[in-house]
Amino acid sequence: MSSPLLTLLRNEVAKAARRKLPYFGILAAGLGCVITYFVAGRLSNAAATNAWGYVAFSMQVVFADIGPIFVVVFAALLLAEETSAGTIRAALAAPVHRWELYLAKAVAGLLYMMVFSAAALLFSAALAKLHYHFGAVGDSLGVVYSRNHLMQQFLLGYALSWIPLAALVMYGLLISTLVRSPGAAVAVGISTLYLIDFTKPLLGLDPYIFTRYIDYSWLNLAQIAQGMDYQWCPEVWKMVKLSGVSAVVAFVTGLVVFVRQDLNH
Amino acid sequence: MMESAPALALEEVSKRFGRFAAVDRLSLQIEPGHLAGFLGPNGAGKSTTLYMIPRLVRPTNGRIRIFGVDIWKDFKRAIRSVGITVEAPAFYEYLSGRKNLELAARLLDHVSPREIDEILERIGLAERQHDRVRVYSTGMKQRLDVGRALLGRPRFLILDEPTNGMDPEGTQEILSFLREKVRNDGLTIFISSHLMSEIEEFCDTVFVIHRGHLVVSGSVKELLKPHERIVRVTFQGRIPDGDFISRHQQIRKAEPVTADTVEITLAQDDSAWLNQCLHQAGFRVSALAPKQKTLKEFFLSITGDKPHV
Repeated sequence: MSSPLLTLLRNEVAKAARRKLPYFGILAAGLGCVITYFVAGRLSNAAATNAWGYVAFSMQVVFADIGPIFVVVFAALLLAEETSAGTIRAALAAPVHRWELYLAKAVAGLLYMMVFSAAALLFSAALAKLHYHFGAVGDSLGVVYSRNHLMQQFLLGYALSWIPLAALVMYGLLISTLVRSPGAAVAVGISTLYLIDFTKPLLGLDPYIFTRYIDYSWLNLAQIAQGMDYQWCPEVWKMVKLSGVSAVVAFVTGLVVFVRQDLNH
Repeated sequence: MMESAPALALEEVSKRFGRFAAVDRLSLQIEPGHLAGFLGPNGAGKSTTLYMIPRLVRPTNGRIRIFGVDIWKDFKRAIRSVGITVEAPAFYEYLSGRKNLELAARLLDHVSPREIDEILERIGLAERQHDRVRVYSTGMKQRLDVGRALLGRPRFLILDEPTNGMDPEGTQEILSFLREKVRNDGLTIFISSHLMSEIEEFCDTVFVIHRGHLVVSGSVKELLKPHERIVRVTFQGRIPDGDFISRHQQIRKAEPVTADTVEITLAQDDSAWLNQCLHQAGFRVSALAPKQKTLKEFFLSITGDKPHV
C-alpha cells in the first residue's frame, strides 16, 4: 500500500472526477472569459490594450466573483457532504487517521483551486490569442518590458494569486467541518464570504481580511500590461502574510474540530 | 498481535453527552471465534457503543481493545483486523458498487481485484457491480455494506443491523455465508439486530444493554434455558379442572393454551412429579415438556421495554 495520504488523495480525486460541480465550475470560468472577451473594450481600456491586458482583466473578472464561489462551494462540500450522507463513518472505520483524511481533503481542495485557476488562465490566454498579441510593452518613460519579462511577471503573479485562494479553500473546509449539512455549508460559505466583503470596509477591517487580495495579482498585472509603474512590494508581503496566516488558522481550527468531533449523527 | 487476547474488550467505557450518560461504565468481552449479539431498546446506548469502537465517538472514560491492541494507542493496527458496518449503509451514490469497494479497498492492505470479484459474487452483486449505487435497493446496499466490511479478510466483524431491509432469502443467504466464515476462517462477529429471532438463531453469546448499562450477558443457550417451572402438557381426552389444581399445592397455576394443551406453573422444578400425579389421577398425557423461552420474551423480562434494538 502506498502512503495513506496519497491513497486518500487518489480517492478524493476519483470522487471529484465523477461529480458535475467541478466541471460546471470550469465551464463557468470559461463562460466568464468568453463574456469578458466580448465586452472587454467597453469595460476597461487595459483589457483592450494587448493580450496581457486582456488576460489580466479576464482573470480579475473571473476571480472577483465566479472563482471564489466555486472554490468555496467545492471546499464546503468536501466534508459536509460525507458527514451528511454517512460515508465519513465508513471512511474513518478504515485504518486511517482523521488528520490524514482532513489533510487529503485540504489538498484536494487546493488541487481543484489550481485546476480551476489554470483552466481560467488557459481560456483567457486562448481568447487573448484570437484578437491580441502577446508582445513587448513599453511604459511612459520609454522602458520596454520584453515578452519574456512579462511572461515571468505573469507566471509569478499567477502563482501568487494561489495564496489568497488557498486561504479561501481552508475557509471553505472549515465551514464544511462546522456545518454538517451540504446545503447549509454552501449557503454559509457563500453568504459569509459576501457578508465579510460588504462589511469589512464599513467596519474598517479591510486591511485585515485576506479576501481583499484575491484579485490583487491580476490588478498589478493589468498595470504592467498598460506599461504603468507597478509595485509588488511591500503589498505582496502583506498579502502573503495575511493570506498565509488566515489559511493556517482556518486549517488548524478545522483540523482540531474534525479530530475531536463525535460522528454519531 | 496477541492471539489469545479477546477479539473485543471494553473496560469501564463511558460516554457522556453533557449531563446525559449514553453509556455508563460498560465492560464486555468477546472471545475470538464467537458470534455475539448486541441487544438493547432504543436509546440504550448500543449505537454509541458501536461507534466508539472505530473511534467515531470519543469515550469519556474507559479502554477499548481489539485483539489486545488499545484503539487509542495504535488505532491503525487495532482496526486493521476489523470490518465494520455502521447503521444505515452509506455509499458514494454517484459511483458504482464496485468502485465503492475499490475506494475502500485502497485503504487496506493487499486487497486484490480478485478478492473484490469474490466478495461481489458472494454477496450476489456480481451482475450489478457496475451499476451506480443510486439505483440499488436497500437490500442491495445492505449486502454491499457487508461486502465492504469483508474487504481485507478481517478477523473480526462488527455488524450494525446487517440484514435491515433485506428480503428473507437474502437474509438467510448472508447469515449462512457469515456462519460459514466463522466456521472456516475463525471469524469473530459482533452483531446488533432488531430481529430477535435472528440473534437467537445466529449468535452463541448475547449482550443486553439498557440505559447505558450492561444488564445481562451470557450464552444464548444458557439465557434461554427452558423454564423448568412452566410445563406445557398435551392431553388425550379430558384436561385437569380447577378441582384437581386446588388439591395440589405444588401447582400454582394452570392455563389452557389450546383445547388439549395446558401450561402448568409449578412451585418447584419437578416435571417428573407432575407426570406421575397426572397419570395417577387418570389423565392421559400425550406430551409433556418444559416451556422454551424465546429471546424476545427474555429481552422483555429484562428491559421491560419494547424489543427495539
